[in-house]
Amino acid sequence: MKNTYIKLAGLVLFITVLGSCKKWVDYNPHDDFKVTDLDYLKSESDYQTMIISAYTPLQWLNQTVPIGDIASENSVAGGETASDILPLQQIDDYTLTPVNSTLEDLWRVAYEGVNRVNYLTQNKDKNKAGETVDFDGKEALYGEVYFLRAYYYFNLVKMFGDVPLFTDKRLELSDSRTLTRSPKADVYTQIELDLNNAIAVLPTTQAQKGRITKYAAQALLGKVYLYENKFDEASTVLENVITSNAFSLVSDFNSIFLATGENGPESVFEIQYTNGSPYSNWGGQTRGQGNYSVQQNGIRGISGSADMPYAAGWSSNLPTKELANAYSAGDQRKDVTIMDIEAYKAAHPQYGLTYQVAPYKNTGLYNQKYLPRKGETSGQVELNYLNNFRTLRYAEVLLMAAEANNRASKPNDSKAQGYLNQVRRRAFGDDLHNITATGTSLKQAIWDERRLELAMEGDRFFDLVRTGQAATKITGFQAGKNEVFPIPQKEIDISGLTQNPGY
Amino acid sequence: MGIALLLCFVGTAYSQSVRLYGKVTQKSTGEVLPGASVSIKNAQMGTLTDAAGNYSLLIPANGTTITVSFIGMAPIERKVTQGGVLNFALDESADNILNEVVVIGYGTQKVTKVSGAISTVRSAEIQKLTPVRAEEALQGQAAGVTVVQSGSPGAAPTVLIRGIPSFSGTDPVVIIDGSPQSLTDFNSINPNDIESINVLKDAATTAIFGVKGGNGVIVVTTKTGKKNQKTEFAINANFGVQEVPRYIGVLNAAEYGAIVNEGSVSSGGNTIFQDLSQLGTGTNWQKEIFHNAPMQSHNISARGGSDKMSYFLSAGYLGQGGIVGGTDKSTFDRGNFTANLNFDLAPKLKFIVNATDVILLSKGILENSFNSIIGSALNFDPTVPVFNTVPNTVGKYGFSNVILSEVFNPLTKLDNTYNQNTGNKLYGKFELQYDILKALKVSSRFGYTKYDDNSKTFTPLVFYGLNNVNNTMNADGTTVDGAHNNVAHTKTSNFNYTWETFANYNFKVKEDHHFETVLGFSLAKTSGNADGASRQDVPYNSWEFADFTAATGTNSATNSTALTGNYYQYFRKNLSYFGRVNYDYRERYIASFTARRDGSYAFGTNNKFGNFYSGSLGWVISSESFFNSSFVDYLKLRGSYGSIGNENVSPQYVQVVTGGPDYGSTANSNGYNFNNVFYPGSTIGSAANNDLAWEKQLQANIGFDLTFYKNKFSLSADYFDKTVNGLLFTPSASLYLGTAPIPTANIGSTKSNGVDVSLSYNEKISPSVRLNNSFTFTSSKNKVTATNSDGTAKIYGNSYFNGQSQTVTVFEKGQTPGYFYGYKTEGLFQSTAEVTAAPTQSGAQPGDIRFADTNQDGAITADDQVKIGDPFPQFTLGWNFSVTYKKFDFSAFTYASVGNDIYRAYERNGNYTNKVRSVLNRWTGPGTTNDARYPRYIFTDPNNNIRVSDRYVEDGSFVKIKNLQLGYTFPKALNGGVFKSIRVYGQVKNAFTFTKYSGYDPEISGGILNTGVDQGAYPISRIYAFGLDIRL
Repeated sequence: MKNTYIKLAGLVLFITVLGSCKKWVDYNPHDDFKVTDLDYLKSESDYQTMIISAYTPLQWLNQTVPIGDIASENSVAGGETASDILPLQQIDDYTLTPVNSTLEDLWRVAYEGVNRVNYLTQNKDKNKAGETVDFDGKEALYGEVYFLRAYYYFNLVKMFGDVPLFTDKRLELSDSRTLTRSPKADVYTQIELDLNNAIAVLPTTQAQKGRITKYAAQALLGKVYLYENKFDEASTVLENVITSNAFSLVSDFNSIFLATGENGPESVFEIQYTNGSPYSNWGGQTRGQGNYSVQQNGIRGISGSADMPYAAGWSSNLPTKELANAYSAGDQRKDVTIMDIEAYKAAHPQYGLTYQVAPYKNTGLYNQKYLPRKGETSGQVELNYLNNFRTLRYAEVLLMAAEANNRASKPNDSKAQGYLNQVRRRAFGDDLHNITATGTSLKQAIWDERRLELAMEGDRFFDLVRTGQAATKITGFQAGKNEVFPIPQKEIDISGLTQNPGY
Repeated sequence: MGIALLLCFVGTAYSQSVRLYGKVTQKSTGEVLPGASVSIKNAQMGTLTDAAGNYSLLIPANGTTITVSFIGMAPIERKVTQGGVLNFALDESADNILNEVVVIGYGTQKVTKVSGAISTVRSAEIQKLTPVRAEEALQGQAAGVTVVQSGSPGAAPTVLIRGIPSFSGTDPVVIIDGSPQSLTDFNSINPNDIESINVLKDAATTAIFGVKGGNGVIVVTTKTGKKNQKTEFAINANFGVQEVPRYIGVLNAAEYGAIVNEGSVSSGGNTIFQDLSQLGTGTNWQKEIFHNAPMQSHNISARGGSDKMSYFLSAGYLGQGGIVGGTDKSTFDRGNFTANLNFDLAPKLKFIVNATDVILLSKGILENSFNSIIGSALNFDPTVPVFNTVPNTVGKYGFSNVILSEVFNPLTKLDNTYNQNTGNKLYGKFELQYDILKALKVSSRFGYTKYDDNSKTFTPLVFYGLNNVNNTMNADGTTVDGAHNNVAHTKTSNFNYTWETFANYNFKVKEDHHFETVLGFSLAKTSGNADGASRQDVPYNSWEFADFTAATGTNSATNSTALTGNYYQYFRKNLSYFGRVNYDYRERYIASFTARRDGSYAFGTNNKFGNFYSGSLGWVISSESFFNSSFVDYLKLRGSYGSIGNENVSPQYVQVVTGGPDYGSTANSNGYNFNNVFYPGSTIGSAANNDLAWEKQLQANIGFDLTFYKNKFSLSADYFDKTVNGLLFTPSASLYLGTAPIPTANIGSTKSNGVDVSLSYNEKISPSVRLNNSFTFTSSKNKVTATNSDGTAKIYGNSYFNGQSQTVTVFEKGQTPGYFYGYKTEGLFQSTAEVTAAPTQSGAQPGDIRFADTNQDGAITADDQVKIGDPFPQFTLGWNFSVTYKKFDFSAFTYASVGNDIYRAYERNGNYTNKVRSVLNRWTGPGTTNDARYPRYIFTDPNNNIRVSDRYVEDGSFVKIKNLQLGYTFPKALNGGVFKSIRVYGQVKNAFTFTKYSGYDPEISGGILNTGVDQGAYPISRIYAFGLDIRL
């Protein structure tokens, strides 16, 4: 009898256990303390934090800057050997194919930027859980978001021409292979729309230096208009920046590129890098807070006394002699833009400087604007240089305004000269080098000045393409093909996009 | 009245009985056998012999059949017709595997009733090898198991059961005394404590493990005590010395100087070494880093039992120093304490406690990269003297004036390597067994593993040499601006348990139809957490003070990593139901059916549970009446088919990640800084796939077991064919989706088939000479049959660096898993005319490698890359040979691996790094050589001769004499009556390796995608050892 009870009780227990067991394998991400999309964007701080990460891909576009010079006549890829940094060598040598890991990464990260922005715009009025979160300054904050989307698309359109365009949402796996390339003009329309939306709400100053301001948006819009040959509109929007008197040219050109010169009076927009947050992922060299291209520019094995300011690097992105020769005597920008290592060594015997000659495509010249300097990196030293990219300097705003005025439907060459000569006056420290030309020769003077002023800042190749000078200036450049880079082969294979002509 | 009645019944029961008594001994030695079972056949009546081997049993007066059995002995059946004295002498049954029992999932099975595929390795074979890890004993001894060993002390080998189903997650599950554990847990099992290892290979035997069984199951049974047995002590000691078996030929200083000069001058550069005659032979860095290292293991165990309980107690210590850097820098130490206890709480209630505590201590060095210790020794400048002689510079060891980054003096590197890891693992089980009915037993088992681990790494400030980019210390001993030393601690704590309850019911229908059934459920959870802290500025830059408490770093606006902390936790949960029916008719016709239903916390909401079924059939032809052969003693045909799974998944969800840098595969970082002040950011960091499920495997197996020629030969052979579907792959997705990781889906599949054979041959040549041979043969062919929808997905192995970051192994559709992918070579260009005539190959000049235009499009492009090798062997062979002559015993174990290729990836190929000697055969002008392995040498390498190509692929087939052992057992007379036996032996492990491979060792272990890529792998040491085995 007793036994029967035990067995019965046992059976009941067994069935109960079996029945309740199913819950054992249920899973909620909260069990792992994971914050999901449904938990997020529920406060102002969530929005603020997410917008920070919409800035992040700006840093990842790092290699567009060396490419902007390497693809032009300004610099050569260099590196250790012919088989080092192949993606950049192929850009340099115009042996470019659609299989190029650097270009593929730049394509992908620009789109990550677009997706991050889209997620924010998609959840602006209502979050994923369907709630509305309002706070003071939300609109102004979204000004930054619109700017960023414009910036990412501007990069895409400059590099690849027609590209897939989407603004409604962050894409999901089900959206894979659904898009086609939109005409360049449509992409520019969207960029203008985003920038105008940004200008409408952005403040003129930000408490945090490095945040996007209204002037940054206006300056970028001015540049976009130049790329669209909309000179009247460019002139108007750039005039706003100039007349605001918010910016001035720094008299010591060199100081702009020192750590102390970051976010200075000439800075309209800088992509921020820092050595304060060391990063060590060789699987994604550009995805930290440090500026990877600085290490690339460095002089191999440079060493000397403690007060010798430079640190060693990889001898890439070496300025050409032709660039060096483009500067006139007395132009303070030459030595700031280009370091002639032998000349430097001779001029500073006290440093006891030694270095290894660049082993491949040596020019003896280095990109002084962004050379690695001692004490400016941390952790994994190669990946953490603090140097900001001076993406939009006031000097460029002036040169853009000059060009816009010169090329406007009703040209104003004297205004153009005025802006141009502000830049030249700073360069030479006198009025003796002012330009007095007008018309087409003034246009050419402005274009040439852009090269001298912005060399090694990643603008040259795109500028040459924009102004139609590329085929005449760049060896190996094929008109009708090399104005844009090839769409990454992987994207063509997967998404069925069309390739750019000639690739 | 009642008592009287009871007595009456008893009286009745015994009135027709007579008493049988006597002694049970071992035939060969005459030793008594305590704990032997003496029972009446087909009745549940019996007894065990006492400590003196005596038994006493009541038997029916009209006679019956008595069965006498003892583990490891052939049972005896004898008809008895009267009471009185009857002694039995049992013979060892090792020669006849047919009487053995194998341990399977949730039960045991007589070998003759098995219709699945199982390989078994027993304690004697394991002990002969004196392995550090028990997997070593499976290599070549268990057919169907492929083991690729690692040389690093205590490191896990690659273990594959029946082919390569996937690119990761291929580890078989390990069941220790019924409790599930993992392959990594082999680091803490004392091989001396193992009674047997059964490897379950086919669907019939693994399906009861369902979603855990897909990669095969290794069932480990540890030793237990025996009831009514006097305590038996066993003491083993083994001491050995390890050495590196061979060195790799690299250039000496003068040769190096000449090559560097040639490389520089041919690239238009300067002569680097002006006077080669001064260089001499220089330093061979390999000789500096390899040291002879000790290896020892000591064990003591006691086993025995009383009437109501039995016990096995053991303690062991193993210490293996590393041959790279010596015991100071690379070592593995293990202490084991085991108690396996069985109690009869009540006549029908049994309680089993197994508990093992393991203490682990290890130190490691940087391995498997060109800048590891071995990589540095191979690549570092040989002109540098061992010790630093440069005035006014700190640093004990010499430095190079030409290699200024990446590769360092290996001794400097070794000297500045400081880490240690201590672990404590407690594992075992509690089990209750209750006999509800005569043949119905319910078992409830709680198996657990508790592992805690504590590690510390110190990264000191180092002066690597003048102008060295990676210096954190200046030549004068001061700290480089912004550099800090650092100490990092990590503590992990893991707790895994499985609670299983199942009922075994054995019954028969009409005498000859036997059924063995099991039904039960299992709940499992693995969980753990880890925390870590690191701090900069350790006082005096010294290991002595390398502790968080002594370091002084504090975070500041410009240095956020002076003091860091981290933490994570994880868990996994499973729920399973299972059942099995085994049937046999007179052990002649055998059938088995298994079902398992598995749920996992990780499966998507649409796929919470999976069902797995398998069945098998066996036919013992030799039991048929028509079968009449004097040659064949036993013949069984077996076949099985069924489904199993693999749970290589983790739950998926749409996560918002907040923070900074991301170290995941897509480096989907967060955060930004404004004016050098960092702000964390957030973004969508993952996506979910609600259909996520298990990998499904279908496996068919056919085989036979054959014993012939007076039971001297036994042969088992199996052919298997398996298809794995639902391998986890990342679907190929448009790049414009960005860098948020794409969720994986069950979209890949592979096919494998192969043959496992084991053959043994035993011969008693004379009473004093016994010969024992066993052979195994393992082969498999594998193919990836699907990946993502368009078949474009490629899973690459880890990259290696030889001036460019390269990957060589790939897992992709239409190929064998982890094959080598690269360019094929077709000799060297001898002249400019040849270059011009050949398909366009940018940068090529005479002396450069001519790559094959495999797609014949007239140009050498990335599309010309093809299969250039396969790291996995076509087949492996094991041969265990042993012979005993009187008191001497000799054994040899030989292992061969055929068809495995090795990719040589330890050469850095820097302008100034050292080169392997083959560069001396280089092309120096038309006609000098046309061997693609020896192109011209030039710094700039415009042809990219260093790209991944068959230039670096070598045949890694090998034959290894893995173990040679000669032992001598002292005659009893010399034992002084105290000892049961004393045996001494000498041993050489990894005595000889026959291979064409030019590196240290052709066994290069790793994950599926890293196996066979030699980035300077830690070579397996040769060990000279002697040992002592005592029983008392």
